[in-house]
Amino acid sequence: MIVIQCPLLISVRSNIFRRWVSKLVRKFFPLLILLALLGAVVWAVSMGTLPRADFVFNNGAEIKTMDPAQATGSPEGRVINALFEGLLRSLPAGEPDELGRIPMKPVARGMADRFTVHADGTVYRFHIREDARWTNGDPVTATDFAWSWMRFLHPETASEYNYQLFYVRGAEKFNAVQLAVGDKVEVELADRETPELFPRGTIRRGILRELILPLPTEGTAETDVADDVAAISGKAIFIVEFQTESGNTSAKETIAYAVSADGSLAGIDELKQTYTGDFPLADIQPCKHVLYDFNEVGIQVLSPQDLEVTLNSATAFFPELVAFYPLHPVHRGCVEQYGARRFTKAEHIVTNGPFRLKERRIRDRIRLIKNEQYWNAAEVELDSIDVMSIQSETTSLNMYLTGQLDWDTTPPNAMLPILKKRDDFVSTPFLASYFYRINTAKPPLNHPLVRRALNLAIDKRSIVDNVVKGGQTPADSFVPPGMNGYQGYQGSGQNVKRARELLAEAGYPNGKGLPQIEILYNTADSHRDIAEVIQQDWKKNLGINVVLRNLEWGSYLDSLQTGDYMVARSGWIGDYPDPNTFLDMFVTDGPNNQTSWGNVKYDNNIKMAKREADPAARMQLFVEAETILMEEQAIMPIYFYVSKNMVQPNIQGFYANLQDIHPLHLIKIRREGSATHDAISEDTN
Amino acid sequence: MQLLVFLLKRLGWMLITVWVVFTLSFFLMRAIPGGPLNGERVLSESVRAQLEQRYNLDDPLFVQYTTHLWNTICFDFGPSYKLQDFTVNEVLAQGFPVSAALGILGMTFALLLGMTAGVVSAVCRTSIYDFSFMLLATLGIAIPSFVLASMAIVLFVFYFQFFPAAGWGELKQIVLPAMCLGAPFAGYIARLTRTGMLEILSNDYIRTAYAKGLSTRTVILRHALRGSILPVVSYLGPACAGILTGSLVLEKIFAIPGMGSHFIEAALQRDFTLGMGALLTYTVLLYVMNTLVDLSYSIIDPRVVLE
Amino acid sequence: MNQTPIPTTDEQPDKSSKRMELQRLAEVMSVAQSQQGVSLWSDGWKRLKRNRVSMLSLWTLVIIVVLAIITPALPLQSPIFQDVKQRELLSPEFKTYKLGIVDYNETLALKRQTLIEMGPLDDQRAALQAEIEGLEARHPINVYWNDPGFISQAMIKFRIFIFGDYCIPSICGTDKLGRDVLSRVCWGSRVSLACGLIATLVSLLIGVSYGAISGYFGGRIDNIMMRIIDVAYSIPFIFIVIFIMSFLSAPKVRDTLNEYGINQITVFFLMIGAIYWLTMARVVRGQVLSLKNEQFVDAAKTIGTSQWGIIFKHLVPNVMGIVIVYLTLTIPAVIRFEAFLSFLGMGVQAPDISWGMLVNEGIQVITPIRIYWWMIIFSGLALALTLFSLNFLGDGVRDALDPKLKNR
Repeated sequence: MIVIQCPLLISVRSNIFRRWVSKLVRKFFPLLILLALLGAVVWAVSMGTLPRADFVFNNGAEIKTMDPAQATGSPEGRVINALFEGLLRSLPAGEPDELGRIPMKPVARGMADRFTVHADGTVYRFHIREDARWTNGDPVTATDFAWSWMRFLHPETASEYNYQLFYVRGAEKFNAVQLAVGDKVEVELADRETPELFPRGTIRRGILRELILPLPTEGTAETDVADDVAAISGKAIFIVEFQTESGNTSAKETIAYAVSADGSLAGIDELKQTYTGDFPLADIQPCKHVLYDFNEVGIQVLSPQDLEVTLNSATAFFPELVAFYPLHPVHRGCVEQYGARRFTKAEHIVTNGPFRLKERRIRDRIRLIKNEQYWNAAEVELDSIDVMSIQSETTSLNMYLTGQLDWDTTPPNAMLPILKKRDDFVSTPFLASYFYRINTAKPPLNHPLVRRALNLAIDKRSIVDNVVKGGQTPADSFVPPGMNGYQGYQGSGQNVKRARELLAEAGYPNGKGLPQIEILYNTADSHRDIAEVIQQDWKKNLGINVVLRNLEWGSYLDSLQTGDYMVARSGWIGDYPDPNTFLDMFVTDGPNNQTSWGNVKYDNNIKMAKREADPAARMQLFVEAETILMEEQAIMPIYFYVSKNMVQPNIQGFYANLQDIHPLHLIKIRREGSATHDAISEDTN
Repeated sequence: MQLLVFLLKRLGWMLITVWVVFTLSFFLMRAIPGGPLNGERVLSESVRAQLEQRYNLDDPLFVQYTTHLWNTICFDFGPSYKLQDFTVNEVLAQGFPVSAALGILGMTFALLLGMTAGVVSAVCRTSIYDFSFMLLATLGIAIPSFVLASMAIVLFVFYFQFFPAAGWGELKQIVLPAMCLGAPFAGYIARLTRTGMLEILSNDYIRTAYAKGLSTRTVILRHALRGSILPVVSYLGPACAGILTGSLVLEKIFAIPGMGSHFIEAALQRDFTLGMGALLTYTVLLYVMNTLVDLSYSIIDPRVVLE
Repeated sequence: MNQTPIPTTDEQPDKSSKRMELQRLAEVMSVAQSQQGVSLWSDGWKRLKRNRVSMLSLWTLVIIVVLAIITPALPLQSPIFQDVKQRELLSPEFKTYKLGIVDYNETLALKRQTLIEMGPLDDQRAALQAEIEGLEARHPINVYWNDPGFISQAMIKFRIFIFGDYCIPSICGTDKLGRDVLSRVCWGSRVSLACGLIATLVSLLIGVSYGAISGYFGGRIDNIMMRIIDVAYSIPFIFIVIFIMSFLSAPKVRDTLNEYGINQITVFFLMIGAIYWLTMARVVRGQVLSLKNEQFVDAAKTIGTSQWGIIFKHLVPNVMGIVIVYLTLTIPAVIRFEAFLSFLGMGVQAPDISWGMLVNEGIQVITPIRIYWWMIIFSGLALALTLFSLNFLGDGVRDALDPKLKNR
C-alpha cells in the first residue's frame, strides 16, 4: 500500500487516528460505561434465573463429588441419597424414643424388596424389585450392584470408604492386592482404550503360580504376600497360569506379568536378578493390574434379581452398611462411556434414586427434580429441590429467615439461645463427639495422670451451656449415648481438687515444672471460643501455662497426621449407629488414631467385638474398651453434638433421629395456609 | 504502529509476570504443610498411593513443575483435586463471569456515584453538599466492606425488605453486593474527582469558557470534567486490584459462586490446581486492566507517551 | 515564603554604581538576616494549623495513640478473662466490677504470715506451703493478662498500685465469652496501630530506598527496576498473602522464626509492609527524577559526596513531603487490610486482639433476630475514627505542603 512507502504519512495517519480515537473515547466515555454496565448485567443474569424449587435447603459445603464410590462426608451423603438408591434404605421406623427421635432402620424399601439372612448371619441374599429402573430406562439388576461394588473396591478407584465392604469375604484381598501363590487372579492387560479405569482392558483369569517380590529391606519381615503398594507401583513380577479352552481341548499357558502404569518395565530389572526359579523371565508382559479374582469375592449374582453376599463373619450392622451411600450402585454404561469425571455431569448421569440431577452450579446450587421412573415415585411429593452450598452460617440463617431456604443445617452458635425457643428449631442429640486429642508421645502428656488432671480441670458443663449453647450434653465418654443399648463409660465431671491432686501425683505440684501446653485448633470462631475457655480453665485451676495455636484446615490436618501437636481439637461423626464406628478409631497405629496411644487389651477387645455374634457380649467388649480409653485418657471428650436444624413450619416428613439423616424423598410440604415468613416480628427477644 | 509495539511489549511482560507468579506460587504451595490428599479421615496407604499416581503427585518436584507449566501454557489447568467432578477450566468458566459481572457492576457504581459526588462537591465547594459528600466518602473508605455489607443486609433485607438476603442469578440479588463492593471506591473516586476538579477550575481556560458565556453545566461537563478525570483513570488500576480483594469478602457474605470463593477454598483445602488456575486468571486480569488504564490514559491525555 | 531578591552578578564597570550595588546588597542581607527563614516544614505546619478539620484529626489521633500506649496502666478490666456463666453478652452497664487481685494478695499475705508464725515442726506446715505455692502459681495476674512484655508488666503493676481492684464498669458491654468490650477495644488498638505503623515503616523503608535508587541512577537500572515494579503490580498479593500466612503458621517454620526471636505477629506486620511499598517506590522515583538535576545535587557532587550519600542525605530528605502525605494514606490501608485478613480468619490470632478481629466478632452477632449492637459499635467506631482521622489529616498535610494551594 502507499502508506507503507511513506513513513511521514504513517505518523500523520497515526496522529490523526489517535486524535480521532481520543475524541471518540472522550465523547463516548459515559456511553462506554453504560455499555459495560449493560454487558455486565446481561452477563450476570445469563446464567439464567431458576424459579425457586419446591424445597430449598443449605447443604453447607460444596460437595466433593456425586460419585458414590468417591464421596465422603454428610453433605455428599444427602445428595447421593437423593440421586441414588442402594439395596436397602435407612428409614424412620418404630416408636420415637424419649427425646422424640425416631430410630432409623435399614429396611428393604430400596432397590431390594426383600432380603434374607442365612448361615448364622454370614450370608445375605437380596432380591431386587422388578420395577427398579435407571433413569435411562434400563432395569436395575444384581449385576449392576456386583459391578458397582467391584468398582468401589478396585484399588485404582481409591475409594476412601472401601473398608466398609471389607466385611465381605475376599473383598479386602481384592482391594489391597494381598496375593499369595495359588490364588485365583484376574489380570487386566495393558490394552485400555482410554487412560480411564473403566472400561477396563481385557481381563484374563488364571492362577498365580509364582510371585517375585523385592527383597525385604532391613527391619521388615519377609513375606510371601504381595504388598499392595509394591504391587501397584510395579515392583513385583507375577507368573500366572491360564487355562485356555479352544473347542474341546484345553491348554495351559503361563505368562509372567509386571504391573506398569505406562507400559514400560524399567523398574523390574533388578528384581529379575534375584529370581532363582526356572521360569524364563525373558518375556515379561506389562499389564495394568493383577488382582485377586473378583469372582472369588463373596459378591455373587445368582440371577438378574438376586444378589448373594457372603461375609467373613457375622456382622450385626451389615444392613446399615448396605444402606450407606458409598454402596449405592452406578450405571455401568454411563461410567464406561463418559469416564470417572464426566459421568456425573447433569447431561450424562444415570441414576436410580427418587430424584434426578437437573443442573449443577459450582458453589451455588444443585437442582434436583423428581425421577418419574423411580419405583416409589407415587410417594415422592417434591417436584424439585435446590441443594445450596452456602458457607457462611450467618448468610444461611438470613436466607432462612427471609424464606429463601426451607431447611438450614448450620445456624450460628451465637444465635442458638434465641433460636432454641422457636418451634421451627429441630434439635436432638446425634451420633457425634467433640473431643480433644492428646498427643501421648509428647512429654508431659505421656503421663496418664497429667492427661487425667487436664480432663478433670475442664468445666464442660459451662462450655456446653455458655459457649456452644445448642443444648449439647457434656461428655465424659467418647461414644455418644443412645446406640443399640450401649451404656458407655461413666465419668465424674469437673473436679478441680482431684485434678490438682493428680497433677501433684504426677510430679508437678501446682503445675510447677510443667512445660507449656499448646492447644491446636482449626480456624473457626466456635473452636477458638472453646479453646480459650479451656485455656483459662487450665491456667486458673491448675496454674499451668497454656498457649493457643490456630491453623487453617489444611495445615491443621497435616499437624494432626504428623503428630506435630500437643492437644488438638477434633470431632467425629459416626458412620452407622454402632460403637464400633467410634472405638475402632483408637486401635494402636490406626490411621485415624493420631494420638500415638495404644493399648493391647483395647485392640484385642475391638478385634473380638468384630467377631462376637452375641449383642450383649459384644457391647460388653466395647464398654471395657472405652473404659480403658477413658482411664488412660488418650482423648478428652468435651461434648456430644446435637443436630441443629431450622425447618420451616410448613415442611412435613422431617424426623429427628440419631444420625441426623433426613431422606429428602419423604419430605412433604403442607400447602394449605400460605407460608408467611415475617422474620422480624416472629421473635425479637 | 506505536500502539502495536506497545501492546506487544506489554504482552511480553505479561508472560513474564505470569511465569513469575506461577513459579512463586507453585513452590509456595508445595512448601505449605499438608497436601490435597489430606482429609479429615486419614487415607490408607494404598489409597494414597493410587491417588498420588492419579494426580501425578508422586513424580519428582521438578517433573511436576515442568508438566504443570506445560499444561498451563496449553491452557489446561488440570483436574480440580477437591471438586472432583470438574476440571479447573470448568470451575473457572463458571466462576469468572460471576466475579467479573460483580466487579464491573461495583466499579460502575463506584464511578457513577464517586464522580457525581466529586463534581458536586467541587462545584459547591465548602457548601453543606461538599461537606456531607466528603464525610460520606471518607466514611466509605473508613468502614471495611464486610461491616458495610452486614449493616446493609440488616437494613435493606430485613428492615425495608428491598432485596433478597443472598444468592446469585436475579438482578435483584446483584444490586446489594455490587453497591457494597463499590462503596469504598466510590469514596476514593469522589475525593480524587473533587481534588482534580478544584485544580482544573482554577485554570485560565475555565475562566475563558465562563467568559464566553457558556452555562455552568457546559463548562463543568465539557471542559472541566475532562481534565479532572485523569487522576480517576490512573486510580482504576489499583482499584481493580482492590475490587478483586473486596469481592472475596462479599462473595462469602452474599453466597455468590464467584472466583473469590473458589480461590479461598482452594487455598484452604490445598486444591493446588484450582488455586493456581484462579491465581493466574487474576494475574492476567490485573495485568490487562493495568495496560488498559495506561492505554486510556494516553488517549485521554495526549501528552502521555506510550513506552 | 519570603522572597529574597537574587543579586545580579553582571559586571558593573562603573565604580560608584558598584559601590551602590554593594550597599544595596548589604541592605538586602541585613533584611534577610532579620527575617527568620521559613522552611517548607514550618510553613506547612502553619498552614496545617489553620485547617481545623486536620487539627481535630491530629488531636484525635494523638489521643488514640496515647491511650493505646498507656492501656496497661488504665483501670480497665482484663481483656481476656472470661466469665461465661455470669457476664456473657451483657449490654452496657454501670455496675462496678472488682478485679479481685487485692483480696487475693491479702489472702496470700495472710497465709504467708501464718507460715512464718508456724513452728518448724508443725505437721500442717507442708500442706500450707503447698497451698501457698498453689495460690502463687494460679495468681490472677497470670490469668488476666496474656504474657505481657516487660514494659506492659510494669504498667500493670503501676495500675494495680494506683487503682487497686477498681475497674471501669463494662460501659461498652461484654462479649460472648463475658469479656469487657471496652478493655478489648483498648488492647486491640495496640495491635492495630502497631500493625499500621510497623507495616507502613517497612513499606517506607523499602519503597523510599528502591524509588530513590531507581530514580537517581536512571537509565538501564531504572528501567529494570521499574519493570520489576510493573510485574509486581500485577501480582494479586492478597492471594499470595493467603499462601504465605498458611506457610508461616506451619509449626516448623514458626519454631525456626521463634529461635531468632521473631514472633508471628511481627512477621505478619513485616509481610503487610512488604506489600505496600510499590506505590511508594513509584512516587519517590518520580520526585527523585525531577530533583536529581537540581543545583544542590551538583553541589554535593562537586564536594565529593558519594552517590549513596547524595541519595540518602540529600535527595531522600527532599522527597519527605510527598512521602508523609502518602504515609497517611498507607496506614489506614494497612489497618483495613488487617481487618480484612481477620475476616478471613487469617489475621491476628487469639489471645492477641486487634480491631479487625473485634469488628469481625461483632458482625457475626448482627442478625435480624437479635442485634448485639455494642459488639460492633465500639470496635467499629474506634476503627472508623482512626481511619477517618488519618484520611483527613492526610488531606490536610497534602494541602499544607502543596505550594500550589498555598494562597487559597
